[in-house]
Amino acid sequence: MPTHILTSFEAFSNAGFRAKLQAPMPTHILTSFEESLSALRNDALMMASLTERNLVNTRKGLFERDEDWCNTVIADDEEIDTLEVQIDREGINVMLRFHPMASDMRNVIATMKLSVNLERIADQAVNIARRGRKLIARPEVGEIAQLQPIFQTAESMVRDAVRAFADHDVALSRSFKDRDRELDELNRTFAERMTDRMSEQVENIPTYMDLIFISRFLERIGDQAKNIGEDTVYAISAEEIRHTSRVAG
Amino acid sequence: MDQSNTASVSSSNSVSESIPPRADFFKVCDFNFYYGKKQALYHVNMEIPARQVTAFIGPSGCGKSTLLRNFNRMNELIDGIRHEGDILLNGRSIFDKTIEVIALRRSIGMVFQKSNPFPKSIYENIVYSMRIAGVNTKSVLDETVERSLRGAALWDEAKDRLHDSALGLSGGQMQRLCIARAIANRPEVLLMDEPCSALDPIATAKVEDLIHELKKEFTIVIVTHNMQQATRCSDKTAFFYLGKLIEFDVTQKIFSNPAEKQTEDYITGRFG
Repeated sequence: MPTHILTSFEAFSNAGFRAKLQAPMPTHILTSFEESLSALRNDALMMASLTERNLVNTRKGLFERDEDWCNTVIADDEEIDTLEVQIDREGINVMLRFHPMASDMRNVIATMKLSVNLERIADQAVNIARRGRKLIARPEVGEIAQLQPIFQTAESMVRDAVRAFADHDVALSRSFKDRDRELDELNRTFAERMTDRMSEQVENIPTYMDLIFISRFLERIGDQAKNIGEDTVYAISAEEIRHTSRVAG
Repeated sequence: MDQSNTASVSSSNSVSESIPPRADFFKVCDFNFYYGKKQALYHVNMEIPARQVTAFIGPSGCGKSTLLRNFNRMNELIDGIRHEGDILLNGRSIFDKTIEVIALRRSIGMVFQKSNPFPKSIYENIVYSMRIAGVNTKSVLDETVERSLRGAALWDEAKDRLHDSALGLSGGQMQRLCIARAIANRPEVLLMDEPCSALDPIATAKVEDLIHELKKEFTIVIVTHNMQQATRCSDKTAFFYLGKLIEFDVTQKIFSNPAEKQTEDYITGRFG
């Protein structure tokens, strides 16, 4: 069983994040403003680490047919919910106390929106874990392997979206629209395949339905990752790329 | 006084209402300004639109008040000053030798950081300049007082005490009285030099609300150290630093995504 996050803080051991947090930033004259911004950012990155870890645990539970991992994901979601509320409170506090302007304002807004998207991703992980428990209770079907590329794509999108936010990487942030389309296509193809299988193996319809739902949850995770990328582009360059068909990299 | 010259600088409100507001109502052309040997402004170029609020921001000593005081040639009251370049008002140089300075200042009202009512009644504060100009017709003076106080959102509070001393008003009311006094002459421009810095938040809100109303009729230039105030009140914002105009753009752009790093550093408090 994995250790509990709040006691070990293991999920926050990502070297890239720690390096980023320690990287020198232009200093704000008001020390308390600087500290509040750092606290907000640190909590958001911790929430991102927890969300990524939940996705990893979801994958293990689903593909290793391990109910303990699924239960862990469901239990750990509470910490992510708590962090979302905390980040909201911190963001509002920064707005109230310091009236951030320009890049500070955009970063506060993007961080608060990041936490909303992360919370939704974590909720999708819980949905998958719940479906995973149902799958584990039934005989295994070979088609679950076809979920692997969909899961990997969604997981890598979340990982890269968080990295793009942490590293202020505009080019990476812009890459998610195309990747989201690929994920949409993978989901659509998978759903078609499973629908075909339902007519061939009627006794496995509940299992195929669960797989279709899981694929759909993964597709939504891709949407959230794309949203994080769009908000990151806004935070860094003040450019609005939402609801645009294609953005050059 | 050459009335024909001053009239061309200060067009009447009825005329200005019938034509679209100019985007270059004030046009500052490669303007340098010196206090003795010390240069306070360096090659400032900008166009201030009519009937909008333009905010000047920047650290103390950056030149924003100096430029503001050049708009009505107030700096000429200081010894040893000189300038290069030009400032056009409605297409005409305010430094033109045929321009009557008193008439220019009549068309450009000014409100200062500290309210400075005369030690006279509310009524007499407003009609003071008219009396000096020889206007003594009671109906004209009464109309001016009511129009000005209404314009400054002070009528309801002051109508029953018009002949009481202005010094009995609250700080916020005094500042609005000064605004009423400034608009009594029907100027085209209102210059405001930190008009709310000595006011409490409620009085500040009333003046800001008033600014929003006044811009329908007047071109307003406001110097402020309060960036939230600039964000709330102004349509365009100019950032000055060390006598140079660093950036001048739409207010929302300046405060959400400034183009210049110096602007970004200043408004986010990362200066120096």
